Amino acid sequence: MTLLWGLGMNKSRRQFFMTIGVLAVIAALLPLELGEFYVHVVAIGFFYVMLAVSWNLLAGYAGQLSLAHHAFAAVGGYGSALLLQYGSEALKIDIPLWICIPFGAFVAGLVGYGLGSVCLNMRRIYLAVTTWAFAESFRLWVISEYEITRGDLGLSTELIFDTSDPTPFYYVFLAGTIFCLWVVFEIIRSPAGFYLRALRDDEEAAQAMGVDTVRWKRFAFTVSSAMAGFAGTLQAHYIGLLTPTPIKFNEMAIILIMVIAGGLRSFWGPALGAMFIQVVSEALRDYSEYRMVLFAVMVIIIMRVYREGLFGMLRDGMAKLPSLSASGST
Amino acid sequence: MPILQVDNLSKQFDGLVAVNDLSFSIESGEIRGLIGPNGCGKTTTMNMLAGLYRPTHGDVRYHGKSILKLPTHTRTAQGIMRTFQIPKLFSEMTVGENMMVPALATSTVKTPEFIEKLEHKSSEKLTFCKLDHVSHLLAKQLSGGQRMLLQIARGLMVEGLELFLMDEPFAGINQVTKETIMDAILEMNKDHGITFLIVSHEMPSVRRLCQTVSVMHEGSMISEGSIEEIANNPLVIEAYLGGQNAAS
Ligand SMILES: Nc1ncnc2c1ncn2[C@@H]1O[C@H](COP(=O)(O)OP(=O)(O)OP(=O)(O)O)[C@@H](O)[C@H]1O
Ligand SMILES: [Mg+2]
Repeated sequence: MTLLWGLGMNKSRRQFFMTIGVLAVIAALLPLELGEFYVHVVAIGFFYVMLAVSWNLLAGYAGQLSLAHHAFAAVGGYGSALLLQYGSEALKIDIPLWICIPFGAFVAGLVGYGLGSVCLNMRRIYLAVTTWAFAESFRLWVISEYEITRGDLGLSTELIFDTSDPTPFYYVFLAGTIFCLWVVFEIIRSPAGFYLRALRDDEEAAQAMGVDTVRWKRFAFTVSSAMAGFAGTLQAHYIGLLTPTPIKFNEMAIILIMVIAGGLRSFWGPALGAMFIQVVSEALRDYSEYRMVLFAVMVIIIMRVYREGLFGMLRDGMAKLPSLSASGST
Repeated sequence: MPILQVDNLSKQFDGLVAVNDLSFSIESGEIRGLIGPNGCGKTTTMNMLAGLYRPTHGDVRYHGKSILKLPTHTRTAQGIMRTFQIPKLFSEMTVGENMMVPALATSTVKTPEFIEKLEHKSSEKLTFCKLDHVSHLLAKQLSGGQRMLLQIARGLMVEGLELFLMDEPFAGINQVTKETIMDAILEMNKDHGITFLIVSHEMPSVRRLCQTVSVMHEGSMISEGSIEEIANNPLVIEAYLGGQNAAS
């Protein structure tokens, strides 16, 4: 059988922890080699990995093509920053960041639950349009409620570390990314993963097979939104300034490109795609707007030639090397 | 008490009456046939029994209790399973994974040991339905007949299955596969006491499987009885275009 529980589950979990362990060690050593600028670039790369992986849970595995994921990152960021500012004022204490950050993620999860509930009976294009409209509304709300949010001027907020060196932040992003990858891994390998994929492939059949599709759709929306919100809070308390700009559709397009480039539905693909696009994008910074054109063309080529994305290419490439495949085919 | 009782069930689709004041009941352990000309409302009835459509009127009772307010997945958890006329599978999942969806969704225990037991049950059912050699394939890679077989095998994975509703399980299926399906139905009925309601146009299959056959026409039940009885009912002959013999 191809399933992953019982002994199989333990094996796949062991593989996961080994892979993530190796990657974590490499990532932890990276700042020793990279200059400050690239430490920053990779830290932001981790932010996108969190967004890509959590969006893949919702869109790739559960089939809910939401276009509001970038907005949830902002909901988290604003949630945390506003609690820090106004909550602290109201309570006359300094609310510590270790409360504000989970709070931001919690608010994003709650809003995700709400949006998921609104979208329960929507399919494909309707869902995409509704979630996009939600993101736009949230952006306009941030702009118009400038007395609370400071609108376009931006809301400045506290940093996690009182330093301009990106390195300590880098490690926070790395830890957050490992956490998100682990959560998604456990979900995908559990019965919930089966339910999500089943409702993606055929909602009516899933119901007929006993899957409570309402519950699991809400679950996917809530968890993925909370994760995006979590990434957003880290970002907010790293940059120290929140503006409505990242709630523009561009940002969602980038997440989409990252996931598709890496390989929609594969576990590692979106993470790989996110880091790849982020690093290439920064390396090509001088070409500004042309980068988007380049990435768009890349997506078209991947969709035409190789649906499984970079991760699929890498995996199949490895399989063609006899020495590697012999050791990797356990 | 009948396992399933349908009382004055109706379904209207803006103006079109697809099912009209339909009543019948099925005893536990029966294999009931449901036949009727194209478009007479058989699938619509199935959809109401399974919870996909909400009836305009009437009631459906399962073990004496109304299940009208229960969503589909709860009905499944209570032991009602169905197949679809056009097979509905989880196309991007493997055959083995397809089998596990109802097994996991309807079992309350989810310990690794129990799940291993479910996997064992799944390979047993796949062998039973002659699908064991394709268990690693994606469902979308299956042939039409294999799809139907998988729908049936998958249905057998439901914990506490009691009532299996099948919509045209023999349509477009070759003779060998048909035999496989019929054997599966008879065995599940005899060994596990599972009750079946089978919609079919295949008279030889209906004749072999069903002691009682219900005949629908234009949304209503027009006859019920053994296949010989209904074949001689003038209403049935009339319903099947210009008096063609329904049992031929
Ligand atoms: N979702 C729907 N919306 C509107 N009309 C429908 C719907 N489903 C079925 N109908 C109509 O209800 C009537 C009965 O259809 P149904 O599918 O129940 O027939 P059937 O007996 O299963 O036919 P067949 O033998 O061809 O499968 C048809 O006239 C059909 O057009
Ligand atoms: Mg039909």
